[in-house]
Amino acid sequence: MKQYEWMVKYTPQTEWIEGRGILFWLAFFFIELGAGMFLISSIFGVILGEFIGWLICAGLGGGLHLLYLGRPSRFYRIVLRPQSSWISRGLIFIAMFLTLGMVHIALSLWATAPIALLVIVNIMAFLTIIYGGFTMSYISAIPLWNSALLPVMYVVAGIWGGAELTVGIVLTNGGLVELGPGMEELIRLLLIAFIIIVGTYLIGVRYGSATGAISVRGIVLGQWKLFFWVIVVALGILLPLGVAIANFVAEAIPRVFLWASIFLGLFGDLTLRYLILKNGFYSPLVPSSHL
Amino acid sequence: MARWGMVIDLQRCIGCYSCMLACKQEHYLPPGIFWNRVIISETGKYPAVTKQMYPVLCNHCKEAPCVKVCPTGATTRREDGIVLVDYNKCAGCRYCVEACPYQQRTYYSNSKKEYFPGQGFTELEVVGKELYPLQSGTVVKCNMCVERIDKGISLGLTPGVDPEATPACVNACPVKARHFGNLDDPNSEISRLVNEKRASPLHPEYGTDPSTYYIDR
Repeated sequence: MKQYEWMVKYTPQTEWIEGRGILFWLAFFFIELGAGMFLISSIFGVILGEFIGWLICAGLGGGLHLLYLGRPSRFYRIVLRPQSSWISRGLIFIAMFLTLGMVHIALSLWATAPIALLVIVNIMAFLTIIYGGFTMSYISAIPLWNSALLPVMYVVAGIWGGAELTVGIVLTNGGLVELGPGMEELIRLLLIAFIIIVGTYLIGVRYGSATGAISVRGIVLGQWKLFFWVIVVALGILLPLGVAIANFVAEAIPRVFLWASIFLGLFGDLTLRYLILKNGFYSPLVPSSHL
Repeated sequence: MARWGMVIDLQRCIGCYSCMLACKQEHYLPPGIFWNRVIISETGKYPAVTKQMYPVLCNHCKEAPCVKVCPTGATTRREDGIVLVDYNKCAGCRYCVEACPYQQRTYYSNSKKEYFPGQGFTELEVVGKELYPLQSGTVVKCNMCVERIDKGISLGLTPGVDPEATPACVNACPVKARHFGNLDDPNSEISRLVNEKRASPLHPEYGTDPSTYYIDR
């Protein structure tokens, strides 16, 4: 049967991944990574980590968001509909996080930052991390995205990535002793949670709808399977898991493994986000019973 | 208050593309931008081949996802059911493009694209840019020929009955497959068609309550 492909078959979304859509993919990643790094660094008292996280969020995340817009000069209008638009809410969260975050960093450097400020900033950081997932999951037209687990997965990934980067900062400046065992435990927990959530998310979408099944098949068995199984699973999840287990068993492991775990974990997360955007399919517009 | 809607009779549609072209001409749409589309597919094997024609356009949904997700308020729904984009407010985030389950919104990116590349804009394109100044970097879509409807009503005409007050795609159809009118008026032609011919919208399970109905074969 020959069909006019454009809307009669499952059609992939393109605006948020093709062409300038690449900026959208990167923007969400850096926004969440930066906020995650700030959150973890502030809890463990790594001020440099807070600052770098803030820069990643504002400079890379915010900058890429602006570059993606068709009319960047109108970005201030984006806050006008928080009652119904997740992008509106997100920009408000980001603005508050960045403003209060800078105040917290300044007070931490030159005075003492109040605990209340730390709590509020970290709430804003958490909301900054989670808004991207909710933005996508709100779109019921794309079953791969329309999952309650998507925001959860992105939050865990953002915090995990932030924790890994914080470890990287501390490694660069000296040892990991100052972080204490809490960071190791946290990273192990986040990694295990990430594995469970990714698996549950993909299985849930796979059996949720025919369109969802098409999307998941594309990621796991289709043209993107090498990216998924090699970069996301093997390098991005299993290698960091191996390093985390080795770190638990042995007293100390070579730093090169720690650095590999950090970068490959981040690369795996970035790749997974790409696959989720790339394989977001719409259901056929014309019901097959009408053909 | 009226709720403007459309009924498309798939038993009559012959796939001539008149609606698609009338819309393009009415709004001076630039290259690559279509607010009305006709999907044509064939099933079966020669000599028993069946052709299906499916005109699609913005459904001007009552529960429009594009209105809900728009962060700037550029996309709004009027009381009469017409969903419009204010190009002066759109920031080009394309959340509405993603959210529309019918994929009827288009991101307009290149205002310099010509119908005859390298030869400059034709006179028609120049006039079109003055009469219908679409802004690059914004999202565009069918506006149900809102100017025709509003002007027609101000002159005392009836949309769906008087051609001057009726969308161009409806007027252009040579086989009268498209009907326009007030869905909230039980005595209107399209309300009668919806009830008697059991017309249904596309994918009612999406919960968007579209204003465009189809009479199936």
